[in-house]
Amino acid sequence: MNSSVVSFFAEAPPYQMAVAKLTEILGFDSSVLMAFVTFFLASFVVVNVMALVGGLGTYAERKISADLQMRLGPNRVGPFGLLQFLADGVKMILKEDIIPRDADRFLFIIAPLFCLGGVFATLAVLPFSSGFTLTHLNIGVFYLLGVSSLVGVGIFLGGFSSNSKWSMLGGMRGASQIISYEVPVTLSIITIVILSGSLAFDKVIGIQGGLPHQWFFLHNPFTLISFFVFFISALAETNRAPFDLPEAESELVSGYHTEYTGMRFAFFALAEYIEVFVVCGVAVALYLGGYQVPFHLSELHFLHDTLGVPMAPARMLGQILEIGSFVTKTIALYYVVIWIRWTLPRLRVDQLMTLCWKYLTPISLFNLVGAAFWMWAFKGESVWTLLANLTNSVGGGH
Amino acid sequence: MISLPSFLAISFILFVSGLVVMIAKKNIIAILLGVELILNSAALNFAAYTRFVNQNLDGHIMSLFIIIIAAAEAAVGLAIVIRFFQIRESIHIDDATQLLQ
Amino acid sequence: MFDNFIFLSSAALAIGGALSVVVSTNLMHSCIYLLMSLIGVSGLYVTLSADFLAATQLVVYVGGVVILMLFAIMLTAGSDNKTVNRFGIVKIPPMGNLKTYIMSLLTAGVMGCSVLKMIMNINQTTKLGELPPYSTTVEQIGTLLVTDHVLAFEISSVLLLGALVGAAVIARPRLENEVTK
Repeated sequence: MNSSVVSFFAEAPPYQMAVAKLTEILGFDSSVLMAFVTFFLASFVVVNVMALVGGLGTYAERKISADLQMRLGPNRVGPFGLLQFLADGVKMILKEDIIPRDADRFLFIIAPLFCLGGVFATLAVLPFSSGFTLTHLNIGVFYLLGVSSLVGVGIFLGGFSSNSKWSMLGGMRGASQIISYEVPVTLSIITIVILSGSLAFDKVIGIQGGLPHQWFFLHNPFTLISFFVFFISALAETNRAPFDLPEAESELVSGYHTEYTGMRFAFFALAEYIEVFVVCGVAVALYLGGYQVPFHLSELHFLHDTLGVPMAPARMLGQILEIGSFVTKTIALYYVVIWIRWTLPRLRVDQLMTLCWKYLTPISLFNLVGAAFWMWAFKGESVWTLLANLTNSVGGGH
Repeated sequence: MISLPSFLAISFILFVSGLVVMIAKKNIIAILLGVELILNSAALNFAAYTRFVNQNLDGHIMSLFIIIIAAAEAAVGLAIVIRFFQIRESIHIDDATQLLQ
Repeated sequence: MFDNFIFLSSAALAIGGALSVVVSTNLMHSCIYLLMSLIGVSGLYVTLSADFLAATQLVVYVGGVVILMLFAIMLTAGSDNKTVNRFGIVKIPPMGNLKTYIMSLLTAGVMGCSVLKMIMNINQTTKLGELPPYSTTVEQIGTLLVTDHVLAFEISSVLLLGALVGAAVIARPRLENEVTK
């Protein structure tokens, strides 16, 4: 019912040849088997690449923080210290895996898996490009909200099961912060959903264009505000500074993962970095035009008909351009997230809750009403279209 | 394999487990867990009948409202539990014997 | 093939979770088993072509209700200070005993027999035709919610507001003079 990465590959001739060959060898219709294998491979690639992105995230964090503080940062392992995260990973694997004596063993073991599972489940709908997205679910945004809340359960359980004061406080703060900030995030997403009329990522992106004035970010004043509300709340939902109260080093040692060692700790850290990437990707898809490339450079008829590139390379080239566009914008936002972390001081708990319930939630509610009004009054046209119409009519037009 | 009787069987098992949890356990929160199971079995039944008998989506609306009711019930129920614990220092259902403190 | 695979795994998750809730003696664990059961039910919705319902189930239960329950279990488990933190970790009993379990099994037997008798002849009473293909339901549900079922929709929003305010008022810590009054 939904198009997916399989249906993109299924249009290519080699895929159909492989299906025919397999059917001939195995003696039954193997299109389902082939779809399964393709899907499995694609998911495998995506999960591994995102784990790599998470690892590189730790490197980027250290390097950028070093830049901001006039230090050098990691520079020993590999060129520019790029392989530092691999060295860290090896160290993590070799560490002793400690489970505290009084901890709740079952919950202690399952908590990091909840975090990692919730984050990896969101990758299923993250729109890398029009073809290479694992699935284009019709309820993509809603599904993403649902599975990403598993992270909150994981953080709470990690804090609770460690049976230590610091972990306990960190877990409580984490869970309450995540479920509080889900409200402004959801409301700002609904603002975009009202304007685009769909919950599917590909439709939301399809309505936007490649150039900044066609993005929802600059569509009208309400979406401009809602982008900032979304971004601030997303920072809080992923427990990034200035909202990293669950792991506030100065008060809580290390928060909910104080008692974790080795790979279990690495799971928590990896989940956090991948979640930041996912959240930045969602912000790009909803507000910054997603995988749209300026001037329709990635469209098939442009590459094929105008430039004369053959069919199969043109398809791949278009997808690669789209992935490049998406990843560039996402990494730019990722940089902003790290930049904010090393610039702003941490909030207090009461300031955190005040910001959520007294400022962000009313503002996003106001945005929701405003976007609905905009749909009603201007039929969903962007500010620029309206201005162009206005100048046309004032200047006499055609 | 995906047929109406199998869905009814699953929802039946959910319902009976919810019932057993509600009766057997004396912790108020455990009883709330049982209530959630029972509500879920009812919602699953609605969705299954919509799929297999009349394809007009009214069952989905019904399940949606059941989920809404379950959320409201959980919020108010847990608030009452926490208040009760503040007063009585206990969450045993047999300690809840008075209407007024 | 995929449908059957999803169906079987979600059904196993739902049933296994529900039975584990029954037999578990630790309330925190049984809450996690309940979470697994709810995720299984959400998978079953997917096989029923109810995609919006599945996502709603995930958002409401995983994101809201289960975390609320975990909080409530943690906040009400502190009567027996055996552990490091005030909110004890080992003493969260479901507080059942043999008598209540026997009672509940008897009740479940009676209820089960009567319900089974009702759904026994389901294949005779309902005509099962060809199943429609999987399709998305979001637009149709949205249309139905604001046309045919708009009254229930509005009332449920009032209900949710009432629940929100009521929960906040009930759980609010009282001042000293209020308690003694």
